[in-house]
Amino acid sequence: MTTPMIKLSGVRKSFGAVEVIQGVDIEVEDGEFTVFVGPSGCGKSTLLRMIAGLESIDGGDLILNGKRINDVPPDQRGIAMVFQSYALYPHMTVGQNIGFSLDLKKVPKAEIAREVGRVAELLQLSDLLDRRPAELSGGQRQRVAIGRAIIKRPRVILFDEPLSNLDAALRVQMRAELQNLHQELRPTIVYVTHDQIEAMTMATRIVVLNKGKVEQWDTPIALYTDPVNTFVASFIGSPRMNLVSGSIAGDTAGQVFKADAGWTARLDGHSVAGAIGQRATLGIRPEDIRPVDDVAQADLSGAIAIVERLGAETYLNVRDGQDTLLVRAQGDLALSPGAPVQLALNHSAFHLFDQSGRVIAA
Amino acid sequence: MAGVPLKRSGLYTAMAYLTLIVISIFCLLPFVWMALASVDSNAKLFLKWPDSITFDHYIKVFAEENGVRWFANSLFTVLSATILVMIISGLGGYALSRSKAWWKQPFLYAILLIRVLPSTALLVPLYKILLTANNGMGNMLRPLVGENYRSFMQIFGFIDGYLGLIVVLATGQLPLALWIMKVFFDGVPKDYEEAAILDGATLVQRIRRVLIPLALPGLAAAGLFTFMSAWGDFLLPLILLSSPELQTLPIGLFRAFLRVNEIDYGLLAALATIYLIPAVIAFSFARRFLVQTFSGGVKG
Amino acid sequence: MALDAFQKRRERQTLLLLLPALIPLVILTIYPALYAIYLSMTNEALTGLAAAKPRFVGAANYFRLFSDGRFWNALFVTFVFVVGSAIIGQFVLGFISAVALRRKVIGSPIFGAAILLPNAAPEVVAGFMWISMLAGGDHATLSKIMMALGLPWTDWLQTFPLFMVVMVNTWRGIGTAMILLTAGLSAVPSEVYEAARMDGANPRQIFTRITLPLMAPTIFLYMLISTVSTISVFGLVYALTRGGPGNKTEVISVYIYNQSFTAFQIGYGAAGAVVALLVSLTLGIAYVRSLKVEV
Repeated sequence: MTTPMIKLSGVRKSFGAVEVIQGVDIEVEDGEFTVFVGPSGCGKSTLLRMIAGLESIDGGDLILNGKRINDVPPDQRGIAMVFQSYALYPHMTVGQNIGFSLDLKKVPKAEIAREVGRVAELLQLSDLLDRRPAELSGGQRQRVAIGRAIIKRPRVILFDEPLSNLDAALRVQMRAELQNLHQELRPTIVYVTHDQIEAMTMATRIVVLNKGKVEQWDTPIALYTDPVNTFVASFIGSPRMNLVSGSIAGDTAGQVFKADAGWTARLDGHSVAGAIGQRATLGIRPEDIRPVDDVAQADLSGAIAIVERLGAETYLNVRDGQDTLLVRAQGDLALSPGAPVQLALNHSAFHLFDQSGRVIAA
Repeated sequence: MAGVPLKRSGLYTAMAYLTLIVISIFCLLPFVWMALASVDSNAKLFLKWPDSITFDHYIKVFAEENGVRWFANSLFTVLSATILVMIISGLGGYALSRSKAWWKQPFLYAILLIRVLPSTALLVPLYKILLTANNGMGNMLRPLVGENYRSFMQIFGFIDGYLGLIVVLATGQLPLALWIMKVFFDGVPKDYEEAAILDGATLVQRIRRVLIPLALPGLAAAGLFTFMSAWGDFLLPLILLSSPELQTLPIGLFRAFLRVNEIDYGLLAALATIYLIPAVIAFSFARRFLVQTFSGGVKG
Repeated sequence: MALDAFQKRRERQTLLLLLPALIPLVILTIYPALYAIYLSMTNEALTGLAAAKPRFVGAANYFRLFSDGRFWNALFVTFVFVVGSAIIGQFVLGFISAVALRRKVIGSPIFGAAILLPNAAPEVVAGFMWISMLAGGDHATLSKIMMALGLPWTDWLQTFPLFMVVMVNTWRGIGTAMILLTAGLSAVPSEVYEAARMDGANPRQIFTRITLPLMAPTIFLYMLISTVSTISVFGLVYALTRGGPGNKTEVISVYIYNQSFTAFQIGYGAAGAVVALLVSLTLGIAYVRSLKVEV
C-alpha cells in the first residue's frame, strides 16, 4: 500500500455552535479523482476549503502525502483550487491570470511565458492569452481557471462546483474535457458538486456527504448497486430509487416483503431471516420495474397517474394505495393516464433498509 | 405608457417637452448670465448681451487678483484631502466589508449618523479643538524651526494652516467614502483574495496586485464625491483660514463680492467660472455613481 | 490552534485597517458633538469677561434660547426652507422631470445635463449667480421676466426673501431628485406596467396604483436624505442673503454661525447647535432604520 495523497481522520469544524463537519475519515490515493457529493449545506464545500487551507480545522488531522498540514498556510500546501466563480482577476489578461502565481514567486519572465504557453496549448487557450476575462465565454473562463491551477504543477487540484455556472450542453462538454485532462496529467483531484451525474461520470471514488458526515465512500457503481442507506440510495441515481414502506414477513416458501399498500413480493436470495416481523423499506430502481400483461407474472397492480413518452423509454407514475412508483420502461409504450397496469419487480435488484434507513440486505 | 391612444400620447409628449424646456431654462439661466458676464467688457448684475467680447476678466483674475494663488490653494488642499480620503476609506471600507466583528453594525450606523450632523453645529467645538492642536503643534515646531516658524505653521498649523483644513475637509467626507467603499467591497467576491492566497500572494501583494486594481472604480467614486464636496465647501475655509496667502477660491470669490462700491461683475463672473469648471468636470464623472451611492446619503 | 490564532490576527489586522478612519472621526466629529453639549452649558465667549474665565451655567443658555424669538424664527425659517425646497420644490420638479424624461424625447441627455448642472455649482457660485437673477436693481433678470409676464416691477429678493432662498435651493437640487427618482422608476419592471394594462388600468390609475406605491420606499428615503442635507445648508444662504433682510432667511445653520462668530457667544451658539444636532440625529435615526442596513 502506498501512502494516500490526502488523508482526513476525524476532521471536525464548527461555525459557532453548529458543527458543520462532524468527524470525517477518508483517504484519497495519488492520481485519484474523488468527488464530494451531497445536498446543499452538507458541508462538502467547507471540507474542500479546509483541505485548501481557507478554513481552519477544529479537530482531527489533515495529512497530505504523509505530512500533517493542519496548520500549513494555504500557499505552502502545494494545492491549487478552481473556484465556483472562477475568480479570474478582471484587470489581468488571460496570460497574466494563468502566470500570476509564478509572477508572485519572481520566476523570470521568459520562463513564465514558456509555462503559460505550455498550459495554454494544453487547454486550447493559445489564441486568447491577450484577452481579458470579460471577453471570454463561460467555457473559456472555466479553462483559464483550470490553467491557473495547473501551471503550479500542484500535487492536488481542488474544484468547487466548477461547472455550476455553465449551461447544460457546455457542462457535458467540460465534463469530458476534465476527464481528458485527468487522463493526461494524472493529478490528484478532489471535486465538489451537488450534481450526482457529474459525480457518477467523472469520479474514481465518490464521497457522499450529508449533514457534515460521510454517508458512504466508494466507487460510483458500488454506490449505485450497493447503497448503504436510504439517503445514498435516493441521492445516487436518476430518476430516484423508489422507496416503499412495509414490513418483512415469512411464509413457507421463504421471506416476503409486505408493502403497506397490501401487495407482497418474495425476497429471492436475500437473507433476512433474522428480520422477520420488522418494519422495513424496500428500495427498487425505476428500471427494475416493468409493466406486464400477464397477471400471473405481476407483483402488484395500480393505476397510471402520469405518462412521459420519451421515445426510447417511457416513464410511468403508477399509484398504488398511498405509494407512487416510478417505472422506467424500455421502448415507447402507448399508455394513457387512468388506465390500470400490472407491474413486475426484478426481485434480485431489491434493496432492503431497516427503520433507521440502514441496509439490511441488497 | 405606450399603449395610450395615439392622440393623447402626442399630447403627453408635447407636455413632456414643454416641462423639460421650462425646467432646463430655469436651471441654465444663471449659468448663461455668468458665462456672458465673464466675457462682457461692461458686465452688469443682470442678464444682458455682452457689449463686446473680451477675455480681460480672466486675465485680470490671474494677473491682478490672487487668482493663481487661490486656485492653487484650493487645488492643493482639496486634492490632498481627496487622496487622504481615498487611502483611509479604501483601507477602512475593506475592513468593514470583510470583518465579522460584533462592532461592525454599530460602527456602520454611527457612520451614517455622523453624516447627518450639520457642520455648522460642530464648528465651534471643532474650532476649539483645532486651536488646542494648533498650539500643541506650535510649541513643538517653534524650537525646531526657529525663525521660519510662521511659514511652517502655515503648512502644518491646524488653524490658518493647510494641514488643519485638509484634515477637517477629509474627515467631513470620510463617512460617505467609507460607506461607498464598504458597499463596493461587498460586491467584490472573497474568491479573488482566496485565489490570490492560493497563488502564494502575501498581504502586501494581495493589496497591491489584486485588491487595489479591483477597487479602482470604488475609489474613483469615493474620490470624486470627496473632491466635489470639498471643492464646494465654503464654511471651513471661511472659518479656518485668515492669512491672505492661504485663501482658497470660494473665499476669494466671497471676499471680492463683499468689496462694496468697486464690484467688477465681469471679474467676479470670470472668477466664479474658473471656480465652477473643476466642479463640473468632477460632477460629470461622478454622475454615474450617484444612484449607487444613494443609500449612503449623497446629496449635493 | 495555530489557525485560530491566525484568524484572531486577521481580526486585529482588520481593526488596524479601520484605525486611520476611526481616529479622525472620533476626534473631529464625535468629540466635537459631545463638546458642543458641554459648551452649551457654559457662558463661554470669544470676547469679554467670559472669554477669559468661562463659567458653568447649567441650562441657562437653553432657557434663554427657548425664550429667544430669533431662535424660534430660525427654526421656523429652517422648517419652511426644508419643506419648501427639499420636500416640495426639488421633489416635485425632480419627479416631473424624471417622468418627462421617461418618454422618448429627443435630446434627453441635454435636458438631463442641463437639469443636473446646478448640482455641480459650489454653494458660493450658486449664491452669486442668483444674486444676479434676483437683485440687480431696475434691470434684475427675474423682475424683467415677471414684467414680461404682466406683473409689476418688484424687488424679489427684498420682498419675498425666504421664498427666493427656497427657490434657489430648489434649483440646486432638482437634478439629484430627478436622477434618484429616475432610478426608482426604472427599477419597476416593465412587465408590471404591461400586466396593469392587461388588467385594464388607465395611465392615471397606473400612476396612482402602481408607480407611486412601488416608488414609496425610494421617495421616503429620498425625502429623509434631502431633509437632513438641507438642514445643514449654509454657504448658499449665507452667500445669497447672510440671513437677511432682517432675519427673514436666517436658517438654523446661519443662526448658529451668527451667534458664535458674529456675536461671539460661543456657549449660547452651542446650545442652538445642540438643538440642531438633536433634530438631525432624530431624522438620521429614522433614516438608518428605514435603510435596514445590511451588514
